[in-house]
Amino acid sequence: MGEDKVLLRVENLKMWHAMRRGLFGGVVYVRAVDGVTFSLAPGEAVSVVGESGSGKTTLGKTILRLHEPTDGKLIFKGRDITHTPEKELMWFKRETGLVQQDPYGAMPSFMTIYRILEEPLIIHKVGTKEERSEMIFKALEEVRLTPVEDFAFKYPHMLSGGQLQRVAIARALILKPSLVVADEPVSMLDASVRVEILTLMRELQEKRGISFIYITHDLSTTRYFSEWIFIMYAGHIVERARTKALLQNPLHPYTRALLAAIPDPDPENRKRFREVPPGEPPSLVNPPPGCRFAPRCPYATERCRREEPPEFEVEPDHFVKCWLYVGAR
Amino acid sequence: MSTALSVRNLRLYFSTRKGVVKAVDNASFDLRKGETLAIVGESGCGKSSLARALIRLLPRNVHTYSGEVLLDGVDVMKLSEEMFRRSVRWRKISMVFQGAQNSLNPVLKVGFQVAEPLMIHFGVSKEEALAEAKRYLRLVGIHESFADRYPFELSGGMKQRAVIAMALITHPEIVILDEPTSALDVITQANIINLLKRLQSEMGLSYIFITHDIALTSELADRVAVMYAGEIVEISDAEEFYRRPRHPYAEKLMASVPTLRTDKKLEFIPGTPPSLINPPPGCRFAPRCPYAFERCLRESPPPYEYKTGSFVRCWLYHEGKR
Repeated sequence: MGEDKVLLRVENLKMWHAMRRGLFGGVVYVRAVDGVTFSLAPGEAVSVVGESGSGKTTLGKTILRLHEPTDGKLIFKGRDITHTPEKELMWFKRETGLVQQDPYGAMPSFMTIYRILEEPLIIHKVGTKEERSEMIFKALEEVRLTPVEDFAFKYPHMLSGGQLQRVAIARALILKPSLVVADEPVSMLDASVRVEILTLMRELQEKRGISFIYITHDLSTTRYFSEWIFIMYAGHIVERARTKALLQNPLHPYTRALLAAIPDPDPENRKRFREVPPGEPPSLVNPPPGCRFAPRCPYATERCRREEPPEFEVEPDHFVKCWLYVGAR
Repeated sequence: MSTALSVRNLRLYFSTRKGVVKAVDNASFDLRKGETLAIVGESGCGKSSLARALIRLLPRNVHTYSGEVLLDGVDVMKLSEEMFRRSVRWRKISMVFQGAQNSLNPVLKVGFQVAEPLMIHFGVSKEEALAEAKRYLRLVGIHESFADRYPFELSGGMKQRAVIAMALITHPEIVILDEPTSALDVITQANIINLLKRLQSEMGLSYIFITHDIALTSELADRVAVMYAGEIVEISDAEEFYRRPRHPYAEKLMASVPTLRTDKKLEFIPGTPPSLINPPPGCRFAPRCPYAFERCLRESPPPYEYKTGSFVRCWLYHEGKR
């Protein structure tokens, strides 16, 4: 990726949450994101896939500078925003949007949909009252909450989960951002609605050329909605590749386990057991010294347990953080 | 295969301020011995209410609770609460509740909680019950030393295993699994499903497996019942269901399931399910159904038994349009 085609550059990003242990205990750190590196081109959609506690939500929030990184670098449109103070970040906040998992929790219950959508415009001093009104109705139309007059003056509790998630999308897009982070945007919705919301997000993302980071635990939805897949495990991106390459040729033992664990609807499934590793991810307070998947990995060697593997580019655009691939390419 | 449980015209309605909610309306099905019947549907379709109706754990605002539930030829709906508690609940039918791993009592040791049903329902002494709890913890893959630990010392997957041990310790014939893996990660989920498969074949259990996740049902289901707006709209054998769901709702739901291994165009179902307070007079899916015709909007379709034990509630089949 040439530097001119990079919207966001994340370099060895670390976000450690401080946590007090016990009443008199000292401070320990939860290494939620522990050395993540990647670039995102304008208009590209990336899925970040991981289990709960893998650090994927913290990664998304840190990229949006809702946290100040512990270490590493965040470069957006060529500007280093890693430690920029909050009050000098207004331009960046205007360029970015967030869609959260729980639409009910993300909307103030006492505001109408109109007011919810107007708020970011007011904060960023966009337009006159009339211009704002026009923008709000247009935004509602784009997420197909029509007739817009009906929806604009309702309160959040009057809408279904799917409708409310459309409002959340409209709010994230109303300032015409160049980067949107969607954190589990459909995991609280029913299957038949999920596809509708994801399709809508994909359409808007492509139409407007927005860069998109789709954070999810559900690998099976990613291939329909992103060009890239990053697999996160215990604070690291252990594999990243183009969507097709990752699904057809998964390299990291963890990615393979993840794929093996996910069923497609198939009556043959009930006749067999799934081959998946036992155990659960390690603590992020005291992660194992070598590869973090080593304690569960069927291929782990002495080196894996001792030394953290670097990222190897096994084929163009296909990176894997695993000693099995040392010397590949 | 003989029948473990027969349900006929089961109804469970709730009184609310807004009116009567018909959560389960006229449900009929058989569960065969040693099989898994999956009940699949979206949130609010009544699948969890159906489970609670079977094991008779009901909230206070019940309006109607009627129908037949035959267990070994006895209609247990006719039993008094006391008799039901003594002879059915936990003895014949037990249940793993949704999010149960988070409902363990945080201040009681895991072994004690697993042993509790034995002490309560069978009057077994504490020592004996604790010994049995350790045996069941081993059976579900937890080292017996964990019996003396508290829930917070266990991972999510281990807590779920403990809850499964708790449901099995009273030797039930039927286990209702209500979203048994919904809060777990996919690899942990796969491990739990492997465990449920092994336990079923070792102990000859019959499962009623309730979930919103169609792909997951195929891991266990021998037969699948699809619920929509309080009604069972289809029951089919797994072999048929995953290849060709028959009810238009089931067909569209299947089309909305993303797959990892095959290419398909994802579809979605426009609209939302009807209110269970005043469901539409005809077929409840008709307002969203692409194939609906005049009769669908007017008259509720009875079950159409396309082969023994398998039916679809849809006028298309009655009228020979499919």
